[in-house]
Amino acid sequence: MQSSNEPGFIKNLRQWLEPLIVPLLAIITAVILGGLIIKSVGGDPFAAYRGLVQGAFGSKKALSETAVWATPYIFAGLAVAFAFKGGLFNIGAEGQLAFGAVAAALIGYALPKWLGHDIPAFIHIPLAVGLGMLAGGLWAAIPGALKAYTGGHEVINTIMMNYIALNITSFLLNGPMKDPNPLNVVARTPAIAKSARIAPIFDGLRVHWGFVLALLVALLIWWILQKTTLGFEIRTVGSNPDAAKYAGINVQRTIIISMAISGMLAGLAGAIEVTALNYRHELGFAVGYGFDAIAIALLGKTNPFGVVLAAILFGAMRNGGTRMQFLTQIPVDIISVIQALILLFVAADAIIRFIYRIRVREERVVLTRGWGG
Amino acid sequence: MKKLYLVTALMIVASIILTACGAPATTAPTQAPVTSAPTEAMTEAPTAAATEAPTQAATQAPSGQAPDCTKPDVFCVGFVTDVGKIDDKSFNQTAWEGVQKAQSDGVANWVQYIETTDSKDYDKNIATFADAGYDMVVTWGFALTDATYNAAKQYPNTFFVGGDQFLSKDDNHPDWPLANLVGVVYNEDQSGFLVGALAAMVSKSHKLGAVCGTDAVPPVWRYGEGYKAGAAYEDAKNSTKTEVTVVYHSDVGFDKTFTDPTWGADTANSMIDKGADAIFGCGGKTGNGAVDAAAQRKVYAIGVDTDQYFTLPEAASQMLSSAMKPETQPVADIIKLAKDGKFPTGGLYAGPSGYAPYHDLASAVPANVDAEMQALLAGLTDGSIKTNVPPVKPAQ
Amino acid sequence: MDWRRFAVIALIIAIMFGTVVLVGFSQSSPLLIVTSMLATTIAVATPLTLGALSGIYCERSGVVNIGIEGMMLGAAFFGWLASIYMNTVFHMPGMLSLFIGVLAAILTGGLFALLHAMLSITFKVDQIIGGTVINILAVGITGFLNRQMFFGKGSVFGGQVPHSPGILPRIHIPFLADIPTFGRIFEQQPITIAALILVIVTHYVLFNTRWGLRTRAVGEHPRAADTVGINVIRMRYINVIIGGFLAGLGGAYFTLESISSFEPLMTNGRGFIALAAMIFGNWTPFGAWAAALVFGAAQALQINLQFFRTLIPPQWSFLQNSYVVGLAPYILTMLILTGLIGKTIPPAADGKPYEK
Repeated sequence: MQSSNEPGFIKNLRQWLEPLIVPLLAIITAVILGGLIIKSVGGDPFAAYRGLVQGAFGSKKALSETAVWATPYIFAGLAVAFAFKGGLFNIGAEGQLAFGAVAAALIGYALPKWLGHDIPAFIHIPLAVGLGMLAGGLWAAIPGALKAYTGGHEVINTIMMNYIALNITSFLLNGPMKDPNPLNVVARTPAIAKSARIAPIFDGLRVHWGFVLALLVALLIWWILQKTTLGFEIRTVGSNPDAAKYAGINVQRTIIISMAISGMLAGLAGAIEVTALNYRHELGFAVGYGFDAIAIALLGKTNPFGVVLAAILFGAMRNGGTRMQFLTQIPVDIISVIQALILLFVAADAIIRFIYRIRVREERVVLTRGWGG
Repeated sequence: MKKLYLVTALMIVASIILTACGAPATTAPTQAPVTSAPTEAMTEAPTAAATEAPTQAATQAPSGQAPDCTKPDVFCVGFVTDVGKIDDKSFNQTAWEGVQKAQSDGVANWVQYIETTDSKDYDKNIATFADAGYDMVVTWGFALTDATYNAAKQYPNTFFVGGDQFLSKDDNHPDWPLANLVGVVYNEDQSGFLVGALAAMVSKSHKLGAVCGTDAVPPVWRYGEGYKAGAAYEDAKNSTKTEVTVVYHSDVGFDKTFTDPTWGADTANSMIDKGADAIFGCGGKTGNGAVDAAAQRKVYAIGVDTDQYFTLPEAASQMLSSAMKPETQPVADIIKLAKDGKFPTGGLYAGPSGYAPYHDLASAVPANVDAEMQALLAGLTDGSIKTNVPPVKPAQ
Repeated sequence: MDWRRFAVIALIIAIMFGTVVLVGFSQSSPLLIVTSMLATTIAVATPLTLGALSGIYCERSGVVNIGIEGMMLGAAFFGWLASIYMNTVFHMPGMLSLFIGVLAAILTGGLFALLHAMLSITFKVDQIIGGTVINILAVGITGFLNRQMFFGKGSVFGGQVPHSPGILPRIHIPFLADIPTFGRIFEQQPITIAALILVIVTHYVLFNTRWGLRTRAVGEHPRAADTVGINVIRMRYINVIIGGFLAGLGGAYFTLESISSFEPLMTNGRGFIALAAMIFGNWTPFGAWAAALVFGAAQALQINLQFFRTLIPPQWSFLQNSYVVGLAPYILTMLILTGLIGKTIPPAADGKPYEK
């Protein structure tokens, strides 16, 4: 219980730690349940988890790979979380990410050709990444505008936009943007110019500066949401659109901006994957990240820092899962089960509180307001 | 009370992390270098009409404890799949069975597989084996071409075998061929040609169908176009007119194109509605769905990559043949060659083409058709008959 | 759903069918083409219809359910598993095994739905989260069990996928099915027929019975319904579970009626398309069914244009590109949602947990 003669710094510490208790316990409970499932089919849970952790954190290379996995998850998770803050459910991160990647790849390999000469990196990289961001933002602004002006629900519209994006990128990568090298048979773009590539942080490891950018962007998003007028407007529209209207906020404009920023973050995820990791875009890259991002945003309770932690957790699990399978032959699918359980317990924190007898005051995150209309 | 829980939780998490740090670190591979005898440019595997012995045993996960692969007398082989599953009843599974065969034949002491779930992980998955001291890493799928090439350069003491990985010397691969790398390539168009010819000769409605994965994958494209070419060849010979329709599942992403059996079944049914009486399923599980549907509708079904009479029992009674891409024996052979110090050099290893036996439908294939099939196989093998299928789909 | 939307849907379907007939009539008779396209349309629309009906029950009572995809996938797996068990381990005859499989699938859907109901109604977890959890859980459990049971160390069947009892047989409707060529449409499998019947049944129940009225009341004005004595919580629970049963039946289609094997992730997003169909159809059974038909027709269009691709005249060569054709239903859905063709109105209390 809180006491009024508690020194200030303990109170601050408690404020920071309290929101972490339930997610932490949720993770532990899910891990225990997952272990029981593994045991029930004849596996060794301790070996499995040891493999998982070793694969995720057990060496410099493992840590690097976890960071590599976490980077797009952070961006995409922020995208979905940001939209949630604005009262919108952006399932379209998948398609926005795809366009971000395509745009970045195009600038990356085609711009020097169009201009006829090389471009210095300090111009080329921001251009590629920036245009990727814009492409994602535009792709999300369309369903945003539809929602704002016609009331069409963003869940369905963004799902449709995902399919449309898939079709368009398939067409582009098999056709006009396909690597013309006669030995190339895959649906992919040519490699981007060296001047468009974001460097790895350490020699020999794949972790790149995009990871650092992701952390900075998370900070930026927190700042926008908490410290700017725009952020205030977005959050107000998100929690109570009627109150927002009475307060004089232009709800329609805010909805479009929320979706646009969300899309830009998702586009950033794709653009960074292209410029910092793969150095090209290929059909089959970055598949499913948009949907993982939903779980990550929910796990992080739409808080930017929570999203970063959740993204690292999910990245660690995806990365470590292969080592777990390698060492113990337990199918990687168990990772999905554990992720679902974690999400379940975090979301239904009442279950966790019941099990562990905790009374923690938490801000209830409102996500669903029906289909609108 | 709250604080107690928090502390307990932190301790549990900390102990989990500590157990990982306690595990032995990965060791650098230390192997006696294997000398490879100089051989001619490309090693040809013997072609055969009806190929490998049917493998009744399905894919099994390895069991038991892994030995220390860094020891020179322990020969370990790792298998990395493309994004997809080890149990796809055709492509990955058959190659993996070759690796397992090497173990059951006593050539390899230990074999293990890793399924790739994201193309980002190719390098990591290959490195997992190489760093653990595995003597050979088999990567299966053309998408792993670059990752395998790079790994071969990075780990010169480990053998690398790439399925469907066609390479040649170019700007991206200046050091090809490498002494420790070989790509197993097939002429899928020839196998497609064979089953297309067979279907054309045996069909009563003279309407054939094929349901394939995306044509952006060259082997799939070759299968589909070879099927058409084979039917056309027999048409020209016998003055018949056969309608062949090949539908590629190019409208979905790579993650779905080979894992959409329901679409495969719907498409096959659509073709059968229009009179097709032979359906060739050429695209992993998507194709399996088409084969399944064809069998249910009691028309001829044609499998792919392996003799699917055995791997798709529910369609067995209608399985006319399969376009063979024998992977098991060549993979097992290469492993043995590596162990014996005769790893094939020259960069490419040609796998045979072929068609599977007719099994239950042998009565539907008259003797002259069978004779023609054997003649076709011989002609394709010695080069006198050409399919004229371009190796990849021309850009549009 | 208003007549305008129905008219637009009928027009779209007619255009799709007509395009294929125009392209392909030189190779196949128009009747054959129409029959074939109709068959494909119905086949593709069946799981979508059942998924949409599932959504309608849930949402009409006020519970958003985006977990239909997971419910169908889980049902597909466990239904298939049950039919194999019955056939292989207990040596039951094929038909009975399949029937038990369908029951198992329905039950699985209901169980997932029970979880969703508990999360959404009792624990008042955000319903989007609940649905997402169901989806991820289903993918993980089915993938894991599929691998572990058939290919893992503890494999129950010795590492071999056992012989499945096949798929549900087609039922030959006498007289109608004997019509040449077109009669094939009247030979359908049980789940397909059930889907059609359930559309009619759902419409009747929802709009012509007292129970349906109560359901809708609970979805529109739960507080008012509570005042009149309707047990809001109980109605929501029952409707969500019924929705689960329907999603389960939809899942059974994949592994017991369409093909006879299970593949991980085989539902491939169809649960989300079903949601789109539900909204497209303005939360009405006939509307959702019509929307499902549009999606079905679109896939039939795509397949058949590839089938006749050599006959497509050069000025329409864009039709040869399956990417372009594939866009049609998605753009159409978005257009519908803009309200250009009638307003889309969800149940008023959809998504809000009820607090006493």
